[in-house]
Amino acid sequence: MSKTPSIRDMLYEEPGPKTKKQIRVITLFAILLLAALLAVVIRQFYITGQFAPRYWYFFGRWTTWRFLGQGLLVTLEAAVTGSIIAFLLGFVLMRGKLQKNKIIRGASVCLIEFTRGVPTLLFIYFFFLVVPQTGWKLSAFWKITLPCAISACGVVAEALRSGVNAVPKGQSEAALSLGLTKTRTFYKVVFPQAIRFVIPSLIAELVIVLKDTTFAYIVTCADLMQNAKVLISNYDAMLSVYLVVALIYILINYLLNKLSDRLADRLKQNPAERSAA
Amino acid sequence: MTISALLSQYGDRYLLALVTTWKLTVLSFLGAFAIGIIITVLRVCPIKPLRAFGDFYVQIFRNIPGAALLILLVYALPYLNIVFPYNTCVLIATILIPSAFCSEHLMSGINTISPGQIEAARALGLSFFQMIRRVIIPQALRSSVLPMTNLLVATMLTTSLASQVPMRPLELTGIVSYINTRAAGGVMAFVISAVLYCASAVIIGFAGSLIDRKVRIQR
Repeated sequence: MSKTPSIRDMLYEEPGPKTKKQIRVITLFAILLLAALLAVVIRQFYITGQFAPRYWYFFGRWTTWRFLGQGLLVTLEAAVTGSIIAFLLGFVLMRGKLQKNKIIRGASVCLIEFTRGVPTLLFIYFFFLVVPQTGWKLSAFWKITLPCAISACGVVAEALRSGVNAVPKGQSEAALSLGLTKTRTFYKVVFPQAIRFVIPSLIAELVIVLKDTTFAYIVTCADLMQNAKVLISNYDAMLSVYLVVALIYILINYLLNKLSDRLADRLKQNPAERSAA
Repeated sequence: MTISALLSQYGDRYLLALVTTWKLTVLSFLGAFAIGIIITVLRVCPIKPLRAFGDFYVQIFRNIPGAALLILLVYALPYLNIVFPYNTCVLIATILIPSAFCSEHLMSGINTISPGQIEAARALGLSFFQMIRRVIIPQALRSSVLPMTNLLVATMLTTSLASQVPMRPLELTGIVSYINTRAAGGVMAFVISAVLYCASAVIIGFAGSLIDRKVRIQR
């Protein structure tokens, strides 16, 4: 997985001939067990007729993929827009939490804890049920993007704050003694270094926002999930479509998480940054 | 609606919803924790296929959106002749997703154990499973109190998935849409639920840092 040797491989020493034989036997047994498990699943698909071509043939058509792709594009658009808004809000909250002024700091802490302690669904229902009552007309896209962004901004604020704290104190001391103002010290010296530490957790946050956007069906925004529903009603193929869509989500999130891990590893391996991280 | 009108009309329901959320959270967390430990043992055991299975399990449930998993369980599984009641489906979803994150936290907890510990355990002649049970897991657990606290809060937030199926009794998110479809509960209906969620999260966080201070291994 990661390039650094993990403890996983240090848990046992090189096995002797006897243990090697044991491991081989157990491995064989484990393979048989997993194969049996897979066989049970496949058998269940078979006896319920879910392998029938009528559930799968339309995946051979490119119009199906184009339709799913359009939904995926909306999903990604919502996730990226939501993440950018979450970043901006999170940045403001982080700055607020690091202020000397007690009122600003207190308000920021409260807002951070509030957004972290309330489920995204509650924010979505707020934008779905309450916001229209006030006469504020939002498109379906914003009804899903805004709540996802709000629910992520507290976590982003905390991530940014831990990044700022990870920058060695000497950096800001040096900048201040050179005569930079506090604001310039923060924007020119501290924050550019801090952002590098938090890029992995920001990508991880993008994954969370992307997962939250699956609730877009509540506000009937035409995202991947919603388009999947249309496919299902067209072809009467519930299981196959939902399985494929779930796999698409898993694959995208997996790749994003992988990227985040890779960047975190690189950060750890750079000796100049190791002391700070 | 004013907050007092809401509370006098729906106060009992809110209380029941809070208890339901708590109950669901505790049940899910215990289930997730048990499965998380088993999966972690699989991921560090010397049997390659079991390791691969553990990694696969974690990647699947770490990356699947909660809504997608719940919809699969509720609407797609019946096509395989596997039908669970709504409450069971919710519980399965809210156990499987946190269990993957639980295993990830335990793995990083294991990674904080120094190799010297393992060498010492081996020198004392402990078997693999003795070492796992007596050396690795206790230390990994002690250094993962804070991540586990966060996991408990995350599990609580995940239980809001229950509002997506007709589960009875209602939990804190479900009750908000219930009240709002019945009467215009307005902003206040949300505020009550949000405050109850937040208060629970703050209590969990406080208890977590208390336990962490007690059991953390100073290095």
